[in-house]
Amino acid sequence: MIHKYRAAPNADLIWHDLDSMMLLFHRPSGITHMLADPAPAIIEVMEDAPLTAAEIASRLTVLFDVEAGTDAEDIILARLEELSALGLVSRVSG
Amino acid sequence: MGEMHQILLKIGPAAFRIASAWRRPLEQLEALYQDYPAPPGGSVDFTVRLEPEKPWRRYIRPSVHIGGDFWLPDAAPLPLRHGLLAAEMGMNLQMALGWRRHLLLHASSVEKDGKALIMTGLSGSGKSTLSAMLAERGWRFMGDEFALLCLESGQIVPFPRLISLKNDAIGAMQSVVAENRFGPEMKATPKGDIRHLVPPKDAIARMDETARPVLLLFPRFGHSPILRDMGLSEIFVRLTQASTNYVALGEPGFHALTRFVDQIPTKAMDYQSVEQAEELIDSLWSQLP
Repeated sequence: MIHKYRAAPNADLIWHDLDSMMLLFHRPSGITHMLADPAPAIIEVMEDAPLTAAEIASRLTVLFDVEAGTDAEDIILARLEELSALGLVSRVSG
Repeated sequence: MGEMHQILLKIGPAAFRIASAWRRPLEQLEALYQDYPAPPGGSVDFTVRLEPEKPWRRYIRPSVHIGGDFWLPDAAPLPLRHGLLAAEMGMNLQMALGWRRHLLLHASSVEKDGKALIMTGLSGSGKSTLSAMLAERGWRFMGDEFALLCLESGQIVPFPRLISLKNDAIGAMQSVVAENRFGPEMKATPKGDIRHLVPPKDAIARMDETARPVLLLFPRFGHSPILRDMGLSEIFVRLTQASTNYVALGEPGFHALTRFVDQIPTKAMDYQSVEQAEELIDSLWSQLP
């Protein structure tokens, strides 16, 4: 079963760049998240579209120096599940 | 419930009513806070209540339960001889749990030339003693427990309550400050030996005068003197841990804290004596833009 994911609306997120991490304030929950690569890039390329891990991987390879392949997809899928648990992305049915 | 005695205190921007079933802790507070102004109009932000744990404990082995607008259910009662400590703990608790007008950092602060030095760290880091010592060496004391960061202006607002000296810090301060500025020594409290010190008169008279933060230090007592750089992520995380109301403030707190972390030069400072710390601080201070 291949899932699609959608990022939280951009208006709900406030980003702040620190040296090695990215801060993300999630307005609806009031929670501050501290994200390491590649989580911020994943949310950035998702924009407002429901995407599979493979689609996100291909978007990332266009923007960043990422090697395409199943390995990248697995990593992205793992991060997407973590971000879902935090309420920053959601799984979209269908 | 029997008769309650009470006094009103203004410390920086916060006004307190301290009500007590016993007169003695209030007499001690009154003496130590005699130079502090009364809250304008008699209105207060918080009430702290010192009450008997059980009605009969008002007289027999009296035991002080700290109550108030905000309280912790597991706060252990203190013996009446530690009533002054109970009052101070009660006031700190109200600030820590209830204050919303500023981002509250568990930190000490001192000022020179309108600029504030903030010192934060775990209990035992020496931040309180350092602020008390610097206050006797040409700096204006702004607070030994809480630094209040203004959400709009980014200024530090003083909260110059009594300085709470613990254990070795008591003797160190007794050697440089006149006896009449000390409260009673309380032995073997849950926090060790405690003695309160009245801040210098100047610190009390200027309690409404804010200062621009220009330097943040994470002092650590007991290690060879050295200054170390810290990453912004580490600084941010440690400041969220040092703040009791960051989460409650929501988005304004996020903006205030990220701005603070971006703008304020920060160092970790190890030291073994006040002299060493002062030397390190002076060297940093002279290099500030």
